[in-house]
Amino acid sequence: MIEEKISPKVKDALKTSGVDVDEILASSPVDLSFEAEYLDGYLVLTQTQLALALYDKRLEEVRVFKGYMPKKKKKKVVQPPVESDVKVAIWDRAKIEDLKIEHQVATNLLVATIGGESVQLCAFTNLYLGSMNHLVKVYDNGEQIMPQEEEEDPSLFCPVCHTKYPDPKRKICPNCMSKKSIFLRALKYFTKYKFSLIVMFAGFGLSAALGLIWPYFTGSVLYGQVLEKKDVPFFEFLGLSGKHTMLLIVLVLTLLGSRVLMTLNNMVHGIVSSNIVVHAILNMKKDVFASMENLSMRFYTSKQTGTLMTRCLRDADRITGFFLDAAPALLVNTFSIIITFIVIFRMNWQMSIVAVVLLPLLVFMSVKLKPGLWILNGRRHRAESSVNSRVNDNLTGARVVRAFGQEDPETSRFEPPNEYLRDAEVRIVKYNNRFTLLYELIQQVSSIWVWVLGAFMVLNVKSMSYGDLITFVGYIGQMSGPLQSFSWMFRSWSESINAAQRMFEIIDAVPEVREDPNPIALTNPRGEIVIRDMSFGYDSNRPVLKKINLRVKPGEMLGIVGRSGAGKTTLVSLLSRLYDVDEGSIEVDGIDVKKLSFKDLRRNIAMVSQETYIFMGTVLDNIAYAREGVSRLEVIEAAKLAGAHDFISKMPDGYDTVIGSAGRQLSGGERQRISIARAIVANPKILILDEATASVDTETEKIIQTSLNRLIEGRTTLSIAHRLSTLRDAKHLIVIENGRIEEEGSREELEALGGIFHRLNQLQTKSLALKELEQDQEQEQE
Amino acid sequence: MSKEINERKNVGVSQEAVDQMITTRLLDDAKVRFIKTEGGFLSLETEEKKYARVKVLRLFPFTDPNRYISVRDHNDKDREIGVIEDLAAMSEETQKLIHEQLDLYYFTPVITKIFSIKDEYGYAYFHVMTDAGECKFAINMGANAVARLSDTRLLITDLDENRFEVRDVSKLTVKEQRRLDLFM
Repeated sequence: MIEEKISPKVKDALKTSGVDVDEILASSPVDLSFEAEYLDGYLVLTQTQLALALYDKRLEEVRVFKGYMPKKKKKKVVQPPVESDVKVAIWDRAKIEDLKIEHQVATNLLVATIGGESVQLCAFTNLYLGSMNHLVKVYDNGEQIMPQEEEEDPSLFCPVCHTKYPDPKRKICPNCMSKKSIFLRALKYFTKYKFSLIVMFAGFGLSAALGLIWPYFTGSVLYGQVLEKKDVPFFEFLGLSGKHTMLLIVLVLTLLGSRVLMTLNNMVHGIVSSNIVVHAILNMKKDVFASMENLSMRFYTSKQTGTLMTRCLRDADRITGFFLDAAPALLVNTFSIIITFIVIFRMNWQMSIVAVVLLPLLVFMSVKLKPGLWILNGRRHRAESSVNSRVNDNLTGARVVRAFGQEDPETSRFEPPNEYLRDAEVRIVKYNNRFTLLYELIQQVSSIWVWVLGAFMVLNVKSMSYGDLITFVGYIGQMSGPLQSFSWMFRSWSESINAAQRMFEIIDAVPEVREDPNPIALTNPRGEIVIRDMSFGYDSNRPVLKKINLRVKPGEMLGIVGRSGAGKTTLVSLLSRLYDVDEGSIEVDGIDVKKLSFKDLRRNIAMVSQETYIFMGTVLDNIAYAREGVSRLEVIEAAKLAGAHDFISKMPDGYDTVIGSAGRQLSGGERQRISIARAIVANPKILILDEATASVDTETEKIIQTSLNRLIEGRTTLSIAHRLSTLRDAKHLIVIENGRIEEEGSREELEALGGIFHRLNQLQTKSLALKELEQDQEQEQE
Repeated sequence: MSKEINERKNVGVSQEAVDQMITTRLLDDAKVRFIKTEGGFLSLETEEKKYARVKVLRLFPFTDPNRYISVRDHNDKDREIGVIEDLAAMSEETQKLIHEQLDLYYFTPVITKIFSIKDEYGYAYFHVMTDAGECKFAINMGANAVARLSDTRLLITDLDENRFEVRDVSKLTVKEQRRLDLFM
C-alpha cells in the first residue's frame, strides 16, 4: 500500500514537468500498469491539468492490501530507498471531455474521452477505488471537495490504538481485541445465576474429593489395613479395633454411600447446569435478536455480516458450552491432578517419578495431535453437507431431471462428492486409530512399569505395602481422564472466544439508519415526494443511483421503467428508509425523510414488492399485520380486492390456515396477492408497487389491476413494472438506466421521444401477442 | 443525450435487429481486423462496419480462457458483435492485441507460495507470493471469500474485492496445503 500522500520525489518530478504542485485539487495512488503488473505512482488533478507520475521501478517488493494487519508489530527494517525514476505524463484538462472509472473483473481503468475517443489513462486495483472516485468527483464538480469522512470520521479508527479498522463495516481492531475483555463480558451472562453457580462448583468440588478418596479406600484401607488385619489409630477411634469383619462391612457401606452420593451429586449438577444453560442461551439470543431487529437493511445486504447472523445462534451454544462444561472441568481437573500428584509423591516418590515420566508425552499428544482430528472432522462435515445439498438439489429438481432424461448423468454427478465423503470418513478412522493406539500404548507402558516396579518393591524391598500399590495404581489411572480432556478444553476456549466476539459484534452494531432524536410527526400527509440530487450505492464506491431529481405530485401515479438491475427497487426502498441516501435528499411533504419518525414514515408508506414476505402465522395474521385493530371484515374486503379471497376460501382452514415456512406452501402468485391485501389493509398515503403483479397469471393480473386502480385513488403511487401494460394508468413515467433518469414524461411524450421506452413498448407488444397465442394454445390443449 | 435518442429513433425494433440479437455470430479471422487505438483500446473493422472501440470478454474465464471470446461494441452498450471461437486460430497479431486487453481486464495474481495464513476474529491474513510479486491481504472468513472453482482451484477475494487465485492446490507443498485446509 503506498501512502496516499504524494512523496517529495514525485512532487519534484511533477514540478519539473510543469505541474503546479501547490494547486493540487485531488490525487490518488495508481498501482497497476496496462501490462497487468503492479507498479507505484500517482494521478494528480489541478485546475488545468491531469498528471500521471509513475515510478519506473517498484518501491517495495510486497503489496499490502486493505485490512492486512500483522499481529506483531515487527520493527521496520529500513530498506535503502529503491533508486527509481519518476516519469510524468500530462493531459490538458480543457481537452478532456469526460472522465470516468470503468470497472474490470477485479480491477479498474480510468478512461478519458479526448477528441471523441476513449483513452485509458491508468489502471488500479480496488484498493484505490475510493480515492480515485473522489478524484473523479472533484473533476466533475470542477471544484475542490473535502475528502469524504475517511480521514475525519473517528468511528473508522480503533479508539484504543488509533489504527484504522481493516474493514470499516466491521468495527473490530485485531490489535486491541483482547481475549480477556471478551471473556469477562461473556462471563456476565452466567454470573447472574450466582446461587446455581455456587451449587455447581460445590458439586464439582465434592466429586473431585470423592474421586480422590476412592483409590485410598479401595487400596490402602481395604488391602493394606482391613484385610491385613492391621490396627490403626483411626479404627480405635471408631471403637472397632480388632473387629475386622465389622470394619469390612463399615468400609463397604462407606464405599456404597460415596457412590450414592456421587450419583446424587451428578443429578443435582445436571439439573442446576441445564437451568443455567437454558437461561443464559435464552438471554444471549434475546440480545442478539433485539439488536438485529434494529439494524438497517445495509447490515443485512453487506455480505460480510450476512453469514454472521446464521452463525450467531449456534454461537450462543458454543459460549455456554465453554463456560459451563469446559471451564469448570478445567479448574477441577487441574486441581485434582495437582492434589493427586502431591498424594502419590508423598506415598512413594521413586515410583511416582517412574509413573509420571511419560505423562508429558501424553499431554503433548493430547494438545498437539488431537487437533488434527478436528480438522479432519471439519472436512467430513463439509463433505457431508455437500452430499446433502446435492441430494436436496436432486429431490427438488426431480421434475427437471426426469424431463431432460438426466437420471444417469445425475447419478454420476453424485459420485464425486460421495467418494470425497467416503475418503474423509476413512481418513478420520485411520487417524483416530493411529492416535488411540499410540496413546493407549504409552498409557499401558507406563502402567506396566508401575506394576513391575511396584511388585518388586512389595516383594523385595518391602518399602511398600500391597494396599498402597493398589491405591497408587488407582491414582495413576484416575489421571488419564483429565489429561485427555485438556485438548478439548483448549479448543472449547478458543471456539467460545471467537463465538463470543461474533455475538458481541452483532449486539454492539450501531444501526446505520437511525431515527432522528427529535422526529417530526407526519399526520395526514398529502403524499408529495421530492427527490433532490440524490445518489446512493450499497458500496459507497460504486453508486447505484446517481444524481436523481424527481417530483411526484400528491395523488399522482408514477410509473418506473427500466431493465433489471437499473436501480428501480433501490430507488423505492430509499423512500421508506430501508437505506439512507449517500448524497442529496428525499422529502415527503417537504420534510426530509431522515427527520420523520419511523412510525409515521412506515405507517404512511406501504410496499408490495416482488419479494413477498409471508411470516409464520395464519392468513388473517398475515393480512392484518400492517395495521393494528383491523376488523375481520376489512381483512376479507381487502383480500377480495386483492383477488385472494377465492383461493383463501377454498383452503380447508380458510383465513385460519397457517402459512409461512412451516405451514401450508403457497404459490408465488398467492403470496403476492396476500401481500397486496396487506397493503390494502395498511391504507397508506403513499403506495409502492414493486412488480406487484409479476408472478400472477393474466387473469389474476386483471383482477388485481382493477383493485389496484381502486386502491391508488387519492394516493401517491410509485409503481415499478416490467410489463408496460401494468402502467397503463400512470400519467407520469420515468425510465431509469444505469442509475440515472434517462427519460421522463407522459406515455405519449416518451413514445414520441423514440428512446428506450419506445423500444421496450414495441418489444413487449410483440412478445405479448406471442404469449397470448401460446396461452390460447395451452387452453385448447387442456 | 438527445443526439443519442435521435439515433435510436431511426433504429426501432425491426425483425432484423431481433434476429441479430438472437444469432451467435462467429468472427472469421480473414474478415475482421483488430487495431489498437491511440487511447490504448481496441477498434474493429468488419466487412460491414467499423467499431471505434470494442471490448473483449472471456465467456469461460476459468474453464476455457482462450476460446469463446465475446467481442462487444463499447459505444452501443456493449452489444455483442460476435464471438471468437478459438483465439489460437487467429493471426498472431490479433492474438497479441487481444491477450493484452484480456490480461489487463482479468488481472488476477496467481498465488505460487503461501508464507502464512493467520485467522482471527473472523478475518484471515494472507502473506503470499504471486506471479505479480509478494502480496499481503486480508479476507473475511465466512463470507465465501474463498470460492472453489474446481477440486484444486481456488479464487480468493479480499476485503476490497481484489482477486487472487490458486491454480492448483495439489502443486503447493504439503505445509502450504495444510495452511489452506481451513478453506478446503
